[in-house]
Amino acid sequence: MDPLEQLVSQILALSGCDIARLHGILKASDDLLRTELTRLSSVLTQLDPSKHSLGFLYILEASTAGQISREQAETVVPIITRFINACTAEQIRLAPDKFICLCKRFKDQVILLQAPIRGTSTEHLTPLHPEFLMLCLLAKCYKTGLLILDDDIFEVEQPKDLFLYCYYGGMVCIGQKHFQKALELLHNVVTAPMSTINAIAVEAYKKYILVSLIHHGQFSTSLPKYASSVAQRNLKNFSQPYIELANAYGTGKIAELEAYVQTNTEKFESDNNLGLVKQVVSSMYKRNIQRLTQTYLTLSLQDIANTVQLNSPKEAEMHVLQMIQDGEIYATINQKDGMVRFLEDPEQYKTCHMIEHIDSSIQRIMALSRKLTVMDERISCDQVYLSKAGRERQRFDMDDFDTVPQKFNI
Amino acid sequence: MDFSTLTAALASKSYDKIADVCDNLMLQVAAEGVSYQDEWPYAIHLIGHIYVDDINSARFLWKSIPSSVKENKPEVVAAWKIGQKLWTRDYGGVHEAIREFDWSQELQGLVAAYSGKLFRSHFSLTGLSRKSCIFKLYTRKMFQLLLSAYSTISIQDTALFLGMSEEDATSYVLQQGWAADPASRMLTVKKQPIVTEQKLDPSKLQRLTEYVFHLEH
Repeated sequence: MDPLEQLVSQILALSGCDIARLHGILKASDDLLRTELTRLSSVLTQLDPSKHSLGFLYILEASTAGQISREQAETVVPIITRFINACTAEQIRLAPDKFICLCKRFKDQVILLQAPIRGTSTEHLTPLHPEFLMLCLLAKCYKTGLLILDDDIFEVEQPKDLFLYCYYGGMVCIGQKHFQKALELLHNVVTAPMSTINAIAVEAYKKYILVSLIHHGQFSTSLPKYASSVAQRNLKNFSQPYIELANAYGTGKIAELEAYVQTNTEKFESDNNLGLVKQVVSSMYKRNIQRLTQTYLTLSLQDIANTVQLNSPKEAEMHVLQMIQDGEIYATINQKDGMVRFLEDPEQYKTCHMIEHIDSSIQRIMALSRKLTVMDERISCDQVYLSKAGRERQRFDMDDFDTVPQKFNI
Repeated sequence: MDFSTLTAALASKSYDKIADVCDNLMLQVAAEGVSYQDEWPYAIHLIGHIYVDDINSARFLWKSIPSSVKENKPEVVAAWKIGQKLWTRDYGGVHEAIREFDWSQELQGLVAAYSGKLFRSHFSLTGLSRKSCIFKLYTRKMFQLLLSAYSTISIQDTALFLGMSEEDATSYVLQQGWAADPASRMLTVKKQPIVTEQKLDPSKLQRLTEYVFHLEH
């Protein structure tokens, strides 16, 4: 019996009862699979993806290892889809690296076929979030992407995965105009620990500036203390035009901002951020109107148009109306007298809905704090950490014993 | 392709589910590798998104539609035009975009539910009276907007926002308790008190109390 057939019969026999042993055999037969490339696809037909998931995975992974042409991809992609939908999770968990590898190749192939949407069915996510989100972006299935972003992530293995996940996630959120969430994700990229500066962080920082302007109307150039020192030092240099844009925004003068954008259009365009930059410009009107609500109780439409630099009272009315519709300000327009009256936020924080909201927020924070405590305990028991911290403590103590401070040592 | 879930959703008039049904169906079909672009009901899908106010998704769907479909199916283009008007906040233009196009049979119910526009065939089929049917989703939303944003507004603008003739608009808002001033052609908006569910679940209060208690001790 030739070795490949033997392997297949072993898969058939062991899949149901002794997965661990089968896994061992499969690992050992990697080389065999590599040499038998041409016969693999016919072997696959003998296996059932749902029952013999592990074996199927190994063979499929091997058979897709080489260079694949478009025509081949046409036939392989449906097989992989069927497999991913049908496979049993317990068996796959034994070989996560193979599975990830397979999914990555799957991604490459659907892109090759110029049909990214074919990859975006929600079944295959596990450690593949960034790949999945990238497909979502390409397929313009932003809504599907949002589904996974709702889950909070606590454990990360590969730093690159985190960077990409947050970056793509941020872009999906921007597409759906969930700026708060986008800001959060991009913030994670920018402040994540890194030893050298990377392109993802730079791009994320640019977008972070823009989204922060759109959402908060301001941007502070200083990063929080927990950001890595590399990021603190370098990010700004790489995104100079954006920092200047933020400065122009800070002046509150729409003409200045527009002039700046005009002269730098090319730079923004080459970064594919022009759309966002335009949103920044239009958000400035809103910001200026919002600022008026803090000062005035009533104001004529003409005055609004003048201070915000809009052309006509009618235009100002439309802006105010839009903002009322989006719940960004509370006001009533009096067309007869051409006046706008600004009101207080009518929310009284006593509805059922609000209580539920508060309650769920508290629950989430409590869960997070529990996780942190557990993590803290685990770290403080960690051998490596303790020995390092112990060494540092000692050095510190030596300094403490140095009774005369350097300054007075003259 | 199996459109049974979609037709069921259309038939049962659960229009708010159409976008999700279409999304899932599209992913399913696409994952199987069937080429679906030519016969996909893009117009229904687009309006489904618009119906639940998800203009972003509608926009991305529009971007993913192959250009051949855009050229050959005027209904898809017309459906997107509604989305476009909503996107640019051209309030009156929305009504116009809806009125302009002669929607196909299967879309009429959906569009009518969204806009309140009445179609002759839909009319005779359901036998609804004009009055009861005229206030549908978008029009109602516009009315709510006017209600919250204006204290006085001209008759002309009201008609534009509601997508009706000036007489219809005036008579409608008068029914809602607004007052008209024929000399200046202005309407005075009568605010409706907002009624919200105030009944509290005692267990929720109990829990909040416990948190506060815990924090103070």
